[in-house]
Amino acid sequence: MRASRIWGRALRYAVLLAVLVITVGPFLWQLSTSLKGRTEDIYTFPPRLLPRQPTLGNYKGVADIIPVWDYALNSLTVAVTNVVTNLVGASLAGYALARLRFRGRRAAALAFVLALLVPLESVVVAQFTLMRQLDLNNTLIAVVLPGCVGAMNVLLMRNAFGQLPYETEEAAVIDGANVWQRFVRIALPSVKGTLAVVAIFSFMGSWDDFLWPLIVLSDSSKFTLTVGLNYLHGTFSNNQRLVAAGTIIAVAPLIAMFACLQRYFFRGVGEGAVKG
Amino acid sequence: MRQSRGAATHWAASPWLFLLPGLAVIAVFNLYPFLATVWQSFTDARTLLPGHWVGLRNFQDMLHDDQFWTALRNSALYVALVVPCTVLLPLLLALLVQPRVRFVGFFRAAFYTPVVASVVVVALIWNWMLDDRGLINGILHALGAGPVPFLGNGWLLLFSAMALTVWKGLGYYMIIYLAALANVPRELHEAASVDGAGAVRRFLSITVPSVRSTMVLVGALSSVAAFKVFSEVFLMAGPTGGPAGQDTTLVMLVERTGTGLSGRVGYASALSLVVFVITLVLMLLVLRAGRGEGER
Amino acid sequence: MPISRGTLPRKAVGAAVPVVLAALTLTACGGGGGGTSADGKVAGDISFQTWNLRANYKDYFNGLIAQFEKEYPDVRVKWIDQPADHYADKLSADAAGGTMPDVVNVSPDLAYPLARAGVLTNLDKEPASAKYRGEYTPEAWQANEMPGLNGGYAFPWYLNTGPLFYNKALFAQAGLDPDRPPKTYDELFADADAMARHSGGKVATLAATPAIEDFGRYGVRLMNADASEFTYNEPKGVELLNRYKQLYTSGGLDSTALTNGPEESGQKFLEQKVAMNPGSAHDLSNFKENAPTLYKNLGITDAPNNTGHPNMYVMGLGISSTSRHKAAAIAFAHFVTDKRNQESFAHKVAIFPSTKGSLDEPYWTRDDGTDEGRVRVAAARMLKGAVNYTPVVMSDEMKTVLQNQVALALQGKKSPKQALDDAVAQSDRLLKQS
Repeated sequence: MRASRIWGRALRYAVLLAVLVITVGPFLWQLSTSLKGRTEDIYTFPPRLLPRQPTLGNYKGVADIIPVWDYALNSLTVAVTNVVTNLVGASLAGYALARLRFRGRRAAALAFVLALLVPLESVVVAQFTLMRQLDLNNTLIAVVLPGCVGAMNVLLMRNAFGQLPYETEEAAVIDGANVWQRFVRIALPSVKGTLAVVAIFSFMGSWDDFLWPLIVLSDSSKFTLTVGLNYLHGTFSNNQRLVAAGTIIAVAPLIAMFACLQRYFFRGVGEGAVKG
Repeated sequence: MRQSRGAATHWAASPWLFLLPGLAVIAVFNLYPFLATVWQSFTDARTLLPGHWVGLRNFQDMLHDDQFWTALRNSALYVALVVPCTVLLPLLLALLVQPRVRFVGFFRAAFYTPVVASVVVVALIWNWMLDDRGLINGILHALGAGPVPFLGNGWLLLFSAMALTVWKGLGYYMIIYLAALANVPRELHEAASVDGAGAVRRFLSITVPSVRSTMVLVGALSSVAAFKVFSEVFLMAGPTGGPAGQDTTLVMLVERTGTGLSGRVGYASALSLVVFVITLVLMLLVLRAGRGEGER
Repeated sequence: MPISRGTLPRKAVGAAVPVVLAALTLTACGGGGGGTSADGKVAGDISFQTWNLRANYKDYFNGLIAQFEKEYPDVRVKWIDQPADHYADKLSADAAGGTMPDVVNVSPDLAYPLARAGVLTNLDKEPASAKYRGEYTPEAWQANEMPGLNGGYAFPWYLNTGPLFYNKALFAQAGLDPDRPPKTYDELFADADAMARHSGGKVATLAATPAIEDFGRYGVRLMNADASEFTYNEPKGVELLNRYKQLYTSGGLDSTALTNGPEESGQKFLEQKVAMNPGSAHDLSNFKENAPTLYKNLGITDAPNNTGHPNMYVMGLGISSTSRHKAAAIAFAHFVTDKRNQESFAHKVAIFPSTKGSLDEPYWTRDDGTDEGRVRVAAARMLKGAVNYTPVVMSDEMKTVLQNQVALALQGKKSPKQALDDAVAQSDRLLKQS
């Protein structure tokens, strides 16, 4: 019995390590490629896992070819804006739907549910036409706008506010606090966890977005990182070292952020999926 | 929902002020474009030319459009092959990292890395690994196997993209399962263990039934996502969808026909509508299948 | 180029290196509102948009503009340059938003949808511009005439044939004369066969599947007279595709040709796995730096053709139909494309003028003994009969249709005849819808 338990444990760790190689290995391989110098053959058989003479030359090289730091800044601008607008818009709307009583509340809630059912992919062409009519195409504003208050986030916030016990607000009502004061002072601080979830998912969704910026941006100086990397891949696919450096630049900040916030990530996915 | 006793104290316009930003965005950038898409799908609008009403012609054209059928086939295949993997593999993974054993936190976090990286990044990484002279073919070569044209053959390209989708989703769905598994009472497993039930039997008779609703949820989420696949295939097979365009997916077709200087906005809108209807039906089917089993 | 819609015309301006430039905000004059008569006074502020020329020819254009403004003191020209990529998207956004620059650099395939949408001026209908028609070669002017739209929509500007590079060493190894590259398709297929046999299928001659220009050069009739139907499925077209299929089977066409884009083809040529590849002047420096052995053995020729007429790429300058200072815009577009200025531009870069008589100048007829001189004179001679094979009504989508059907035929999933019949049927349907 005991021996089989030890074997079981060994087996578990063996499988864990195998999955680790599969999930993280590709990133390390890319990192290794990005550090290999021009003179080092990257096509050797068998592949050499560690660079012989690590160099940062490719990072400089990729910045010479595409303004990769500008693209990163564009992506960051879009992502941060997206986080802010989603936090504000979704918590306001969620609070109204959950805690305020007024005529038309059900209709308003229905609008958000309907919006949730419309996949972005099926309206991109119409959104593009709309942006052109508004004379906003080829701007970062146009990249942000369609997702700046996600229906999903509104419903998440509604659920979060809806679960707060009513007693918390009652005292404030008696004290004569108005709606805004109750929202800011009492309700918001009680849903910090969900706010973190909304923030993280807005950031990732925006940083990740490819189809929409690809369609709406035409000026290469305004590209976000994903569209810029696609350009890099298409134009310099011969130089894998450069492409590797570009991808590492794109992925490193996210992995760093994830490492710091992983507690919230895990809670977030659980909550988002189970309650959303 | 219970009544808010504060209802009388706020002035009547304020709920709408709270809702305004959200509703405005939803109305202008989701609901209006959707209605516009419906309208355009009955016209022959082009990027630079306003459309005329053409009735159902776009939908009739679709029936004769080889590219549409290819794209529909690919998107459907994507669902058929990707979804079973994203429902099962992450569950097994979750079981693996569920017990509080040493380093398990590290493994959980590490398995989540592909989710954090953007799809463009991981597609480029895979492109390099699957290259004729990349890592995978390097390993195959060392094992004495010839180079496999992962990125040169239409079918292999599509399967490679599917593998990427599954790989990228592993961590995400794993966490969802972890949240569900946390609610399964430990005693159930222990009791079964004492009974001498094997791992496979415990999995089938205890784990699966207890996370069944989560499996349905994961199935619904991943089938909708798989049907709408764009980035993975676009990046691996190229904008025109691999050799002879045979890897084109529906959303790729929408993007290709609807944009550009002479883009066929009307036809692309009709294609968009098909995407919408099928995702909706898919979602309902999966959810209904889940509910149906529950009643039995 | 990545999201390349319509790779070939863009490849053709390859002289224009895809350089990522800093942002240039586009501020076209006012926008909207009818536009003025072209017969008015040559005065006002106009905008002039080029396609990826700033990086290399900044001084030339600034000088040109200064000179024009001196001749017409009432006109101010604002020069805007766009990067190589996404130019079509940029134009489409401008056209839809009513912010089209007054004078805009277009190729015929870009001009067509713009002309159809009514955002370009019909130059034959405006007396102010129609009078200049005679200054250009008839072929160049006709290249910008749009079927069904009665007239030319752009002043012809510079021309290019697009060189075809070949690897002399590979030719020699296969027992072929490295100084006699194939001139006709018969020679091309014979050489490719020899190359494949000699190398045991290791060295291909071509890296890309045939595009519409190849059908044109082969002597296939591409469209009917009024450009309302495609005809490249005629027996001659099927014959070409059949020969390509044999080439593919024998290894004369690179095995990855079906998925190769211009970048991949170029790479194969660089690695000396493919003996011939179309390119641009910009590739030369790339070869020099990254493949010195190839550079030493580099031959430059023109794409083979059976018609005696090589393919040419035509650049033009269109006039926005809503321009508020149309007279000034026309005067400026003519100024840029007149004989003197076209010739001086062509002295700076390996392109060719489209003005009548220019190619008879000694610069393009007398070999000065240098490599460049020899190439230039040879190319100028070819250009005299050159035509733009790509039908302007052929949208990117129709090009993709052809590309896909060709791929199916090469894979053996369809007979060449069936593939071309299907391509023509699909393209005709697209054409009717437009």
